Amino acid sequence: MLEFENITRTFRVADRDATILRGITLHVGTREVVSIMGGSGSGKTTFMNIVGLLDKPTSGRYRIDGQDVLTADADRLSVLRNQLIGFVFQSLFLMPRLNVWRNVALPLFYRRTPLPEAKAQALAMLERVGLAAYADYMPNQVSGGMRQRVAIARALVGRPAVLLADEPTGALDVQAGQDIMDLFMQINRYLGVLIMIITHDPKIAAQCRRQLVLRAGVLMDETPLAAA
Amino acid sequence: MLEAASNLLAARQRSALALLGILIGAAAVIAMLNVGGIARNETIRQFRAMGTDVLTINVSSRSSNAVGLKRTDVEAIPAVIPAVAEITPFVTGGGTIAFGMATHNATFAGVAPEFDDVVRLTMQSGRFISFHDDYEAYCVLGAKLASSLGDRGERPRINSKIRVGAYIFTVIGIAAPAVQNPMLPLSVDDTMFVSLPNARRVMPGQIMGSAVGRLAANASAEKADLALQAYLNPKLRDAYLNVQTARQLIAGMANQMHIYTLLLGAVGTLSLVLGGVGVMNVMLVSVAERKQEIGIRLAIGARRRDIRALFLSEAVILAVAGGLLGIVFGLAASWGFAWLSDWEFVLSPEAAPLGAGVSVLVGIFFGFYPAVSASRLDPIDALRAE
Repeated sequence: MLEFENITRTFRVADRDATILRGITLHVGTREVVSIMGGSGSGKTTFMNIVGLLDKPTSGRYRIDGQDVLTADADRLSVLRNQLIGFVFQSLFLMPRLNVWRNVALPLFYRRTPLPEAKAQALAMLERVGLAAYADYMPNQVSGGMRQRVAIARALVGRPAVLLADEPTGALDVQAGQDIMDLFMQINRYLGVLIMIITHDPKIAAQCRRQLVLRAGVLMDETPLAAA
Repeated sequence: MLEAASNLLAARQRSALALLGILIGAAAVIAMLNVGGIARNETIRQFRAMGTDVLTINVSSRSSNAVGLKRTDVEAIPAVIPAVAEITPFVTGGGTIAFGMATHNATFAGVAPEFDDVVRLTMQSGRFISFHDDYEAYCVLGAKLASSLGDRGERPRINSKIRVGAYIFTVIGIAAPAVQNPMLPLSVDDTMFVSLPNARRVMPGQIMGSAVGRLAANASAEKADLALQAYLNPKLRDAYLNVQTARQLIAGMANQMHIYTLLLGAVGTLSLVLGGVGVMNVMLVSVAERKQEIGIRLAIGARRRDIRALFLSEAVILAVAGGLLGIVFGLAASWGFAWLSDWEFVLSPEAAPLGAGVSVLVGIFFGFYPAVSASRLDPIDALRAE
């Protein structure tokens, strides 16, 4: 599903090249649940941007669903993101002036899905994350945990192959965070979505079947043998 | 579309300012067009009654022993100057008239019997001064004068007696209401008409200062003007002549309207540009404030053109809202103008579509740069923005 061959990413900062990612090679199959841990400056965010097609590697090869992304232009990347990837950001980024179901339906809007159909799909996805009763609420009228579920429903409404979650539990208390993790596992089981979770919380990472760690731009597989 | 509108509502104050600029601009453009139309309509109305071949002569005296026009000289003009088809002299003045116990200030006109034909005056009752009435104490009342004179609930009728100083006149006719012609030195509706010989009685010492006539078919107004000056000037003493033709007057009015139109057009264009800059400002601030939103939209699959369309439609909604309000205000302003100048209000058919069209164009033109700069944002930078 995701194939990375010797990915590097270099930024020019103040006339010097700073290499953030150093030769990452990784294959992730469909239906996997992967965690990526790493401290500040380890290249977590840069890697996630590349995985999520928001950024391109400086060198190496990245194929998603068999398609090479290095040659795609900005609009092609938008279409690929829309079809293949669902994002759940740490700071939710819901549209404050759209109600819950319209927020969820937004990716379908960019796919030109007719409104009644988009609404039906959004409501179905809200049902799955347990928020069917809140479809007409505004984002600021529901709790933080619920907002995170809205963001997850939005990420999933387009039936992506990959769900990318950046610190999805970072802003939540332990119980709400665990609820979200349970939801992820359930989604993975029933929808067959590849889930990649970026986190700094070892307890969250420990629940994933495959546990990767980024250290100074180098990716290592640290899945405990017992879990594998 | 709905989303764009609600985003604008959220930035109410800034939107209102940009809206105001567009509003003033569109209103000025609409008012300009519509007032132009109203003025054109008014000119046509004024001259429809009397025709565009009317000419008037007015003599201004320089001293108390000035000598004005002579009736025989004026009546000889069509024979001497073929460009003038017909012409009739008259004297104007004013004073108090009495009907029973009621008194009223009126304009006096001493006229020859041809006067009603030349100015196309029609009667609502009775008849006009005729050839046989030169030395009869008869008068004809204008429509408004007749209706404002009243003695104990009684209005002047045919055979009513009107007193001017020591003279008593018998009413022989009441004129029908007439459209005020800007070339005549009197308002027909407010005037009491008497014969020329009688004019010396009610207006002693007044020189014969006016004549009204018509150009011959296909005659040049300028040539007739020059010929009249050449013929009449030597016959005057201590006075000078002013010849006015309807065509020259219309041309002058058109010229003046053109200047007003240009002025209003300049004001309109200027405020549309200012409004446009306001729209651009609102949109640029909006783009800067909503970078994260743009980032998330790009992340979930919006293409560049989707982002561009979002911001462009906001700009256009803003401009169109201003434009629509502007149309309302512009029409109200031109209605007020028509009301103040007592002109008939007419709706120019091109005004509303043009105002709406112009404001859409302003929205697109000034919204384009902010929309394009929003669509060029890098998704990562946009997401990271505060």
